[in-house]
Amino acid sequence: MNPNDVQTAVTNSLVQGGSQWLIATIVAFLPVLWTMALMLHLGRPYVLRTLRRCGLRLGADIWWMSYLLIRDALLLITFGLSWFFFEPNIVVNTPLPITGSLAALFLLLSLAVKLSRRVDDDVNAYRLSTLFMVIGATLYYGPLVFAVEAASQSYLSGFGQAFTSNSNPTVALVLVWISLAGVALVAAWLFVRALASANRSMGRRLTKERGKAMTGAAVGGE
Amino acid sequence: MNVDTLTNAIVSGMNAGLEQFLEGTIAAVLPVIWLALLGLHLGRPYILDMIDRFTLRLGADLLWLIYIALRDFLILTGVVMSFMFLFPDVVSTDRLPLTGGFAAVMLFGVLLVKLMGDPDHNLRDFRLVTWLLAAGALFYFVPYLFGVMFDGVATGQLLTVSKFLVSNTNTTWAVVLGYITVALFAIMGAVAAGYTLMTGGRAEVPETTSK
Repeated sequence: MNPNDVQTAVTNSLVQGGSQWLIATIVAFLPVLWTMALMLHLGRPYVLRTLRRCGLRLGADIWWMSYLLIRDALLLITFGLSWFFFEPNIVVNTPLPITGSLAALFLLLSLAVKLSRRVDDDVNAYRLSTLFMVIGATLYYGPLVFAVEAASQSYLSGFGQAFTSNSNPTVALVLVWISLAGVALVAAWLFVRALASANRSMGRRLTKERGKAMTGAAVGGE
Repeated sequence: MNVDTLTNAIVSGMNAGLEQFLEGTIAAVLPVIWLALLGLHLGRPYILDMIDRFTLRLGADLLWLIYIALRDFLILTGVVMSFMFLFPDVVSTDRLPLTGGFAAVMLFGVLLVKLMGDPDHNLRDFRLVTWLLAAGALFYFVPYLFGVMFDGVATGQLLTVSKFLVSNTNTTWAVVLGYITVALFAIMGAVAAGYTLMTGGRAEVPETTSK
C-alpha cells in the first residue's frame, strides 16, 4: 500500500464516516429533542401557574412568549430532523427505530392541530395535540431503547431484529411509504387550508376596500 | 490490506470513538449541571431576599422569572442528558455511574412534582423536591466519585467496590438498573401525560360542579 492509497482511504473514510457520524449524531440527538418537546408541552400547567404570579404584564408576556417560542420551535426542529426517516437509503442502511417515520407523522399531526386550531385556548384541541405527541414519542422511544440501543442484549435479539430498520428493511420501507403518504396528505391539507384562509381573509378585505372606493366615487359623483 | 479495508477500519474507529467521546463528554458535563441546579435550588432564600430589596416591580419580576427559567431548564437538561442511562448498549460500553439512571428518575420526579404541585409556594412540595434532589445527587455523585473517578487509584477491596459502581465493569447490574429506570420513566411519563390530558393544559384540574 503506497501513500496515495492511504490518502484515498483517509479521504473516503472522512467523507463516509463523517456522513455516518452526522446521521448517528442526529439519531442520538433526536431523543433529546423529543423529550424536551414533550416536557415543554406537558409542562403547560406549571408555566401557567408561574405566569399568574407575575405582578406586571410585561414579565408575564415575556415568560409566555419565550415558552411558546421554545416549545413550538422545538416541535418544528424535531420534525425537521426526523426527515431522514423518510429517506429509504438511510433507513435501509442505518440502524434506526423502525417506527421512527410513524413517530414523525404523529409529530406532524400534533403540529397540524396547533396550526389549524387554537390549542392554547381550546382544551380539546390541546388534548388532541398531546395525544398525538404521546403516541409519537412512544413509537420513537420503544424501538430506540429496546432495539437500536440494545443490540448487545441477546434476549432482546428477536425484538431488536424486528424493530431495527436495517435488520428488517421490508417492513421499514412499508412504514416509510405509509408515513410519507400520511405526511403528504397532512401537508396538502395544511396547504389548501392556508390558501383558503388567505383567500377568505384577503377577499374580505378587498371587498371592503372596493366597497369603500365605490362609496367614495358615488359621493364624489353627487 | 487494501484501500477498502483501511477505509472501513477508519470509519468504524471514527464512529465508535466519536460516539464514546460524545457520551463521555455528556457524562462529564452532568456533574456540572447537577451542581448548578442544586446551587440554584438551595439558593432560593438568597434570591427571595434580593427580590425584597427591589424598588421596581419590573426588576423583581424579571429576576424571579430568570431564576425560575434557569433553574428549571437545568433540571430539564439534566433529565434529557441522562437519557443515555436508559440504553443497554451505552451502559455496557461506557464508563458511567451505576445509579446514574436513578438520579435521572429523581430529577424526573422533581419535574412531576412541579407539574402537579406548587413547590415555590407549598412547603410540603418544596420539601419533597429538595429531598428528591438530594437523593438524586447521591445517586449520581457517589458512584461517579467512588467508581468512575476512583478505580484508577483504588486497590484491594476498594477496587472491587469501585468497579461495582461503574456501569461497564458491572454490566449485569447496570442493564437491570437501566430497565428499572425505563419502567419508572414510563410510569411517571404516563402520570404526567394523564394529568395534562385531565387538566387540558390548564393550571389546575377543573373543579367538578356536582354538589
